[in-house]
Amino acid sequence: MAGPFTGIRVLDYCWVGAGALVTKMLADHGADVIKVESRTRPDNLRLAPPYRPGTEGLEGSGYFASRNSSKRSFALNMAHPAAPDIARRLAVAASVVTSNFRPGVMERWGLGYRDLVAVDPSIIYLSMPMQGDDGPHRTYVGFGSTIAALSGLVASAGLPGRTPLGTGTHYPDHVPSPGHALVALLAALYDRSRTGRGRAIEVSQFESTVNVLGPAVVAYEASGEVEPRRGNRAPDMSPHAVLPAAGDDSWCAVVARDDHDWCTLCDVLGLPGLPEDPRFATLAERKRNENELERLLATATVTRSAAELARALQERGVPAAEVRTSGQLIDDEHLVARGFWRRFDHPVMGSIVVNRIPFISNLDDPGPLAAAPLLGEHTREIAQSLLDMSEAEYADHVAREVFV
Amino acid sequence: MAADRAAAPAATRERPLASTRVLDLSGPFGAYAGRLLSDLGADVIRIVPPTGDPLADDPPVVATSTGPASAFQWFVNLGKQVVELDLARPGERELCEQLFASADVLLETWGPDPVEVGGWERADVEARFPGLVMVSITPFGLDGPRGRDAGTDLVTLASGGLLALGGYPDTSPIAPTGGQAMLAASIFGAVAAIFGLIARQADGRGRRLDVSAEEAVASALEDAIPQYDLTGRVRRRAGDVPREAGTGIFRCADGYVSMVAGRLGTAKAWRSLVGWLVEERAPGAEVLLGDDWQSFPFRQRPEAVAQFAQVFGPFASGRTKAQLYEEAQRRSIALAPVNEIPDVLDNPQLAARDFFVPIHVPELGRAIQFPGRPYRLSDDPPFRPRVSAGPGPAAAALLPESAPLRPADVPALSRPTTG
Repeated sequence: MAGPFTGIRVLDYCWVGAGALVTKMLADHGADVIKVESRTRPDNLRLAPPYRPGTEGLEGSGYFASRNSSKRSFALNMAHPAAPDIARRLAVAASVVTSNFRPGVMERWGLGYRDLVAVDPSIIYLSMPMQGDDGPHRTYVGFGSTIAALSGLVASAGLPGRTPLGTGTHYPDHVPSPGHALVALLAALYDRSRTGRGRAIEVSQFESTVNVLGPAVVAYEASGEVEPRRGNRAPDMSPHAVLPAAGDDSWCAVVARDDHDWCTLCDVLGLPGLPEDPRFATLAERKRNENELERLLATATVTRSAAELARALQERGVPAAEVRTSGQLIDDEHLVARGFWRRFDHPVMGSIVVNRIPFISNLDDPGPLAAAPLLGEHTREIAQSLLDMSEAEYADHVAREVFV
Repeated sequence: MAADRAAAPAATRERPLASTRVLDLSGPFGAYAGRLLSDLGADVIRIVPPTGDPLADDPPVVATSTGPASAFQWFVNLGKQVVELDLARPGERELCEQLFASADVLLETWGPDPVEVGGWERADVEARFPGLVMVSITPFGLDGPRGRDAGTDLVTLASGGLLALGGYPDTSPIAPTGGQAMLAASIFGAVAAIFGLIARQADGRGRRLDVSAEEAVASALEDAIPQYDLTGRVRRRAGDVPREAGTGIFRCADGYVSMVAGRLGTAKAWRSLVGWLVEERAPGAEVLLGDDWQSFPFRQRPEAVAQFAQVFGPFASGRTKAQLYEEAQRRSIALAPVNEIPDVLDNPQLAARDFFVPIHVPELGRAIQFPGRPYRLSDDPPFRPRVSAGPGPAAAALLPESAPLRPADVPALSRPTTG
């Protein structure tokens, strides 16, 4: 089915993390994304769990499948002397080239922006280096978690006096870097269809992540003060807490935005005297006595089911939610009703779930369109259609391990 | 880019969203979306009530000579034109309608009830302005069984599943800071806006795009969803307990460092790390040369994790963040300092790339550093936006010449420009 990116072809060297999510979004909405990898150098994510028991191996990674839906896979051994020329021909057949390799890798293959723009001035070229294409740390290595540490996201989260935590994930790979890259890439696509001209876009994953700390950077510049770690608490609302619920490791997030929420919360929890208690009557008092406040609330929440409590609070207009885990999300009737999850039959893994982009268009297919490709699944069809190879030429490239 | 800077002429060209008008009527879940569109060259008009911008109280709040001010508001409103409109006043609602007619994109975070904009419902706006790309950014989306629930940043982090992955094993789950669910919703709000503009190019029709903060959060769960789907295992917070030797957050002489060595095709980094520890005669490091330790599954055992910490902990505690960072990177080991905000502002890589941009903030009476844009574009003009301190131009001045209503027709609209 068509999507708004139908007709856009992408030569994709985005592996593993942030970049793969950018090209997934394009592919899920109609772009022809040709992912280049090979059996000699597969995308590292193909080697990462989770695997369904019995389907371990290059075609079995659920992690890979979750980030590469709707793409085509072209198995090209970039270390073979014949490969760079083939890749350049594909780049010309495409109109967008994407990469998150270290600076210099694409250039060595003659696939740098300056090489390609000389052939096609309308090319759009996205690179996503860890810390940028220039500067003294341009070759530094990292992961989402180390970028989170560099940018200030780790230091700000956790409890005072304990090890700082961040999100517990490689968060920059999942939202700031792919999100900001998509914003710039889509703007470049929009502009190209008006002006006919392309652009190079460089997303430093470090700089991209500093932007989601932007308000904290600006506040520090204005005040000269670093905000302490404060767990789940907030300066402008109280309670603003994650409270224990009945059951093993079960929790409910509860927020009182104002005194009205606070009174309603006490009512729902069956703590009638609390709103009048001078220790908790105002936001300032609740902030001053927050340890005691949370302790009292916990005695009331710990006997209730997290889901039931969150529902009871929401029915009275108080923001609350169960702290939900993966299984609850997959089965959640709200997300299912909104079509957030899509199931595909994967030839090796069987039934797998993939999420769509976090928005719905009233006129466009929600995507994704297909499961992630097998390694090299589309090599032959791409060679024959886009490279005009005969069956014999294709077989020759396979025999010479150019296509492998 | 370095290569382009060296070779390219000084010529720049218009930003990619030049001549695109965006009306920003959003609250905290959507405010950064307009900022991102403004950075890309869109003409972003933020409409606020005469009582002031509702973001003015949003944390972080800092003291200024004119009272408390929101650094969040400064950051997300950068580059926008802020216009006050009182929709209850005669004439102003008509003016607002003409602004709608002049716009390509509308960003809003309206609740389920149609009260925010002069009594309009979303469907009215859609019907009257069929070419508009209308982006609704809400905690849980516009429909579905929980579409009317109240959401905040913490609540959508909980319900979207990211909160369950953060925190110490012996405490409650602990959320990331800085309004990450709101910023994530805004980033995808900006993506949705341009998605809608591209779709409109093909068929000339406006779009309604329904962005859910909960779904933005649920897109960021790493391997947790496929793990449950394929194995039935539920991923929970690991906190400060590393999942394998060579990975984790470690205390050092002046703070903490974060390291990933040994997983996902970084076997070389593990060998390099052990070589470093042995070379520096870290007590106990020779054990790590043993055959067992070359196996990744072995290094994932809790005993291996603990034993590695006994070697690396004392080694790191005698060295600073900066020393460890430089030497680890020289050896191609993915280690980074756990930076506080002042460290980020002093980072030599960001300095070399002129990342931070001085912006004059009127309430402070001086310029302070703002983060530069999250990407670089070739042939782009310098990024020198202005902070919107208060109401900018009179709204009517923003209307096209052909608009039926002019400032002279509505005297109340000819307010002085202070921005």
